[in-house]
Amino acid sequence: MFTFIKNLVSRQKPRRDKIVPINNANGELTNFPPVERWDDWTEYEASEWPDRVARNYMLVPTICFNCEAACGLLAYIDKETLQIRKLEGNPVHPGSRGRNCAKGPATLSQINDPERILYPMKRVGQRGEGRWTRVSWDDALNDIAGKIREAFLSNRHNEVMYHVGRPGHDGYMDRVLQAWGIDGHNSHTNVCSGAARLGYALWQGSDRPSPDHANAKFILLLSSHLETGHYFNPHAQRIIEAKMAGAKIAVVDIRLSNTASMADYWLAPWPGTEAALLLAMANVIINEDLFNHEFLRRWVNWEEFLRKEYSDQECTFDKFVTLLKQHYAEFTPEFAEKETKVSAEQIRKIAREIAQAGEAFCTHVWRNAASGNLGGWQVARCLEFLNVLTGSIGTKGGVSPNTWDKFVPTPPNKPAPQKMWNEMLYPREYPLSHHELSFLLPHFLKSGRGKLSVYFTRVYNPVWTNPDGLSWLEVLLNEAMVGLHVALTPVWSETAWFADYVLPMGVGAERHDIQSQETHAGSWIGFRQPVLKIAREKLGEKFEFTYEANPGEVWEEDEFWINLSWRIDSDGSLGIRRHFESPYRPGEKITVDEYYRWIFENSVPGLKEKAAAEGLEPLAYMRKYGAFAVETDVYKKHEKQLSETEMKDAQVDSTTNVISKAGNPIGVMIDNQPIVGFPTPSRKLEFYSPTMKDWHWPEHMFPGYIRSHVHWSNINQQANEMVLVPTFRLPTLIHTRSGNAKWLNEISHSNPIWIHPQDAQKLGVETGDLLKVETEIGLFINRVWLTEGIRPGIIACSHHLGRWRLRSTTGGERWSTALVDLIKLNPTQWYMRQLKPVEPFTSKDPESELIWWSDAGVHQNLTFSVHPDPVSGMHCWHQKVKVSKTLPNEKYGDIFVDTARAHQIYQQWLAMTRPAPGPENLRRPRWLARAVKPAPEAYVFESKQLVENTTNSVDSFNPYQQSKPLDATER
Amino acid sequence: MRYGFVIDQHKCIGCHACTVACKAENNVPLGGFRTWVKYVEEGEFPSTERHFAVLRCNHCENAPCVKICPVKALYTRPDGIVDFDQNECIGCKACMQACPYDALYINPHSETAEKCNFCAHRVEVGLQPACVIVCPEQAIVAGDLDNAQSPISQLLSKERGVTRKPEQGTRPKLYYLGSSKTALKPELQKRDNSYIWSQTGLDKPTLDIQAFIAQAEAKAKTAYDVPHHTNWGWKVWAYLWTKSIAAGAFFLPALALILEWQTSLSLYYAAIISIIFQIITGGLLVADLRRPERFLRILLRPQWKSWLAIGAYILTAFGGVTTLTLLAETFNWHGLTHILAFPGAILGVMSAIYSGFLFRQAEGRDFWQSRLTTPHLFFQATLAGASVLSFVAPIINLVNGHTFSLSFIRNALLTGVLGHLAIMLLEVVTSIAAKDKPQMADASRAMKTLTHGPYWYQFWISAVFFGAIIPLGLLLTATPTFLIAILALSSLYTYERLWIKAGQSVPLS
Repeated sequence: MFTFIKNLVSRQKPRRDKIVPINNANGELTNFPPVERWDDWTEYEASEWPDRVARNYMLVPTICFNCEAACGLLAYIDKETLQIRKLEGNPVHPGSRGRNCAKGPATLSQINDPERILYPMKRVGQRGEGRWTRVSWDDALNDIAGKIREAFLSNRHNEVMYHVGRPGHDGYMDRVLQAWGIDGHNSHTNVCSGAARLGYALWQGSDRPSPDHANAKFILLLSSHLETGHYFNPHAQRIIEAKMAGAKIAVVDIRLSNTASMADYWLAPWPGTEAALLLAMANVIINEDLFNHEFLRRWVNWEEFLRKEYSDQECTFDKFVTLLKQHYAEFTPEFAEKETKVSAEQIRKIAREIAQAGEAFCTHVWRNAASGNLGGWQVARCLEFLNVLTGSIGTKGGVSPNTWDKFVPTPPNKPAPQKMWNEMLYPREYPLSHHELSFLLPHFLKSGRGKLSVYFTRVYNPVWTNPDGLSWLEVLLNEAMVGLHVALTPVWSETAWFADYVLPMGVGAERHDIQSQETHAGSWIGFRQPVLKIAREKLGEKFEFTYEANPGEVWEEDEFWINLSWRIDSDGSLGIRRHFESPYRPGEKITVDEYYRWIFENSVPGLKEKAAAEGLEPLAYMRKYGAFAVETDVYKKHEKQLSETEMKDAQVDSTTNVISKAGNPIGVMIDNQPIVGFPTPSRKLEFYSPTMKDWHWPEHMFPGYIRSHVHWSNINQQANEMVLVPTFRLPTLIHTRSGNAKWLNEISHSNPIWIHPQDAQKLGVETGDLLKVETEIGLFINRVWLTEGIRPGIIACSHHLGRWRLRSTTGGERWSTALVDLIKLNPTQWYMRQLKPVEPFTSKDPESELIWWSDAGVHQNLTFSVHPDPVSGMHCWHQKVKVSKTLPNEKYGDIFVDTARAHQIYQQWLAMTRPAPGPENLRRPRWLARAVKPAPEAYVFESKQLVENTTNSVDSFNPYQQSKPLDATER
Repeated sequence: MRYGFVIDQHKCIGCHACTVACKAENNVPLGGFRTWVKYVEEGEFPSTERHFAVLRCNHCENAPCVKICPVKALYTRPDGIVDFDQNECIGCKACMQACPYDALYINPHSETAEKCNFCAHRVEVGLQPACVIVCPEQAIVAGDLDNAQSPISQLLSKERGVTRKPEQGTRPKLYYLGSSKTALKPELQKRDNSYIWSQTGLDKPTLDIQAFIAQAEAKAKTAYDVPHHTNWGWKVWAYLWTKSIAAGAFFLPALALILEWQTSLSLYYAAIISIIFQIITGGLLVADLRRPERFLRILLRPQWKSWLAIGAYILTAFGGVTTLTLLAETFNWHGLTHILAFPGAILGVMSAIYSGFLFRQAEGRDFWQSRLTTPHLFFQATLAGASVLSFVAPIINLVNGHTFSLSFIRNALLTGVLGHLAIMLLEVVTSIAAKDKPQMADASRAMKTLTHGPYWYQFWISAVFFGAIIPLGLLLTATPTFLIAILALSSLYTYERLWIKAGQSVPLS
């Protein structure tokens, strides 16, 4: 009573714990607690302020698991409560340098999410019915392992498939799958980066670029790296660093991205014409003689080109230059202006600035035009062409192959490559694909190309992420097509709902992984750790499995796969078990500690020494710092001379100058010097690609321009046809992974259709009004957002958002999903209507009562049919659509889809392919990269018989044939 | 030591990392933001621009939130940080009206006001604020403005920093580099009913009124923002109304007694009326607090610059005098009543007009900065007091014989209505005249909502015509006073409502 009265008057006596501050030498504030105090760090609790309440923490580094950038995080673990208080950046991480995007600190809200799945669940009743029972990890492992073993024993290896979203680790699963001896790795790459990968691979062997933004003088982005993409935060830091040092930035994007808004030049060409834009720049650089002659002479495979295509003529560089000028003579800026709608004057101006930047010219294409368009892979090839012309490959401020700046250490007891080839992953129609034709899986299943006995979806949500999600749903519901579906996921997803097991896996602070990314001219590895386990072990506790220290029984995959593999082959008779035995305790099961201890002791150059200098074992060093810089200032690796030792027993091909050793190319003679070069057949940058010719695409031997399926000539604007650009991300969300982060969904929860006011006026809609968008296979209804930030004639809609669930209190994150009714109108027609928007709900987090937004967005991807590019295999995301005002009975979020129509469109696109075999009866050129690369013999066809005859009985639809305005072979 | 921020919009990429890092560090609730990133778009395709602005507390040297806080829950630390104490805050929300930058919000868990406090808890252990260390671009710089060698001072020596609303005289210690001309100026932005990837969180009337205000000047479209709600509602305008009654119903009879136009018994009844309305007024004030159980702190740990605290003392004193008067008359100490009439009249008038000073301390709301508010409140109290007396006095006179001077009451009503009308019109005229003065521009924008905006009908017809012009006309006829009073008093309530709403109609950020 006395306290009550006292409290009326004033507060109780404040607590005044004392902490000695750590200001730096100048008395300024510092960014992070010094590393030597990470085990014992005390600071005041913000929510008690201004009371000085001291809290004692252990700081454990890890890496983020939201996007693929692998930025460093530092978890603050309260030693009293053993809870994670917050996650900051890791100041010693070479890529992210202590800084993060919104998704880093938001990891905390994902860890504490009251909606997350805490225990292994097994389906009860029909698949998709939504009834679940909790099971033990033991039972789940035994059941799944038994089914896999059964498949292996009956020689149905190709029916076991692991399908991953973004891996978040380097090589771990390759090792597991190769230990099983199967070709079972499926990925999401061909709905994401596949097209650009082919473009880069054709030039340089490596399928990704590593731009050295920080030192560039001119940066040309076909990406939105100041807000999203691989690798957003690290790259954004370095792009702005360059900008502040005076670099100019040009961004090519159809809509005004945040990145474009920071640029000196924003170019918004008609979607799909980007390659023409880039070739016009090349045209200016070539015609005005602004290109780097010496670089081209040394590093472009012009000799091979002349030798093979002009064998009757002199083989001189001057001859090549003459042909080069002729070849691109048509791509004048004036031509490009007509084609792209970007002014010729601007193209010329930028081309000259690019040439002026010379070797300090940086580029990047990430998704953007490459992933939107038929022939998008040529966009990456044309972009890299500009780097070749300026000689900015491998230079300071230029672009290097990603492999120089990404370090993947070798694991212990590495299995031999699998001897199998799985046509469900790499079908013969797509011999050049980068990589698996993952998004066609439902159509392959429906066409009877195969079936799945055990199918893992791992932090992967194809029903929601991929185009044509209802075809996915149909095959997932069909137990004859998909036997056992195991979803490894931290949260419920649209796909997990149709699983047989839902197994909870940890987020960034709850699991082990090693990851490295090409963030700058240097390489590093980051170490992800289950921070609660690590902290509690330091405090003296012991755990056998990570799930004992994580919330509920949330596990980590590393331990899951070890234990699953062990059970698949517990007696070792299948030859699998031996790969999961400890390198330190022969015959016994490897622990995750041992796995990483071995890697850090044996596979990371310099780590052992660095650790020893601090008196630490390599594993202890990595546990302490969470990251290690392997190399710094990496430039011009292609110019490295081969040593005498390397040249010992090597052969030089007298025609090609390629140096080989034991049948493997290791370098090339240039100006009589043995030099490493690039991992292409010619060891040079392949302007001219014999591979394209050999694999039936002679018209695409050179960087060229392919008119997209959404070229303006295919769009009848009078009939309200428009191009829908559905590919862009938001700075705060990350596909299917961020629906559990309240702080991120509070910032972004709508994906309205961007529309130019002119188009809006024509249609009679204003911001907030509904618009019906009809695709080839269905329709969706969304609101519009009027903006001058998009080209008239084009609409855009972010693919983030539009999450849904089928049950009111489970099956989806209530922070971000709408409750929907999904009705099957007939065997192939589906209709979805939103029943309830996002609403406040009661949970153990009082914040869930404070949800103030109601929008969940609209799931547009359901209404897209698959568009596999016939060369790269990439899904071409852009959509030709018809737009109109809605009818009175049509509601926000309505979706209609006809999957029979979707299968027809699949067949139309499939008919455009030019299937393998290529030379030597191969399935795929051996030199090209492939995920989980099989043994060389697996590349050879056993027979030439096609699985499915697709060339008949389809409509005559072939944009490749329709649109060859500037066929590269015409000369 | 003088801590301040630089936000370098040359570098800021609008990624919202600061927003989320702040939420995690400070347990900021959903709906509340200590820092946020606004997006605005301007220009026509393809020359379209999008600009970002990181908005938050400016740690003003002359912080209006500190001045208005009645209980010292907001305070400026010796190192220049404007900090707050959730344990002291009573939830009066006055700080949210005083801040011209929308920096404060009420935490629904603690029901107290919060804002950016420069991560004072980190600063005291030697660490940079959470937003500084997370920023991918190092676009947020925190440091000592007094130290010429500090990175923040070095930056500001190379490029002149811009502050938000310098005309407010708050002297912000947050400087923007490279900010766009429009992003920091809400008056140049218009808001649609949704944003680029979120809902506005605002209701339709708010959006409508903001759209009306924006239509004249907006050059840019708000593409992203966080919701800021107005927080003074019916309890505040009802308080103004009941307080006017409580004040006028006593100071008018007190004046009449001093002038010996009435008997001291009139103050007995006046005191009863006044006390009833004082209790309602007090009840409304306490009920409007988010932490009503802490209301006594206004009196027990007052911050003497706050007119909320001063006003509480005036009201308390007024309550004391009226109660004493009641006692005096009850025990027939008429002499004492005569004496109490002097302080009673003065305290009554002070009770009526102190709110003028209080609203002027609400520096965020230019509309409430008018010097005419104080006299206006006097006339409103006169009108309100006379109106209530006109209902009661005839009955008392009927029972007790001549207690009240009915002609005085009618004249008082006439005076009140006349003054009320004159000042309403004067406010309109001065607002038009002052629209080009930067410090008055928001006041003019708010006034426009009354004169020809969404409130025009209620303002001109209800408040002006039925509330003043008709009563004035009727006062020249033989219409019974109480009938006129019903009209005047009910319209006064409408006017108070409009005045509170219009004052909060202009977006601060």
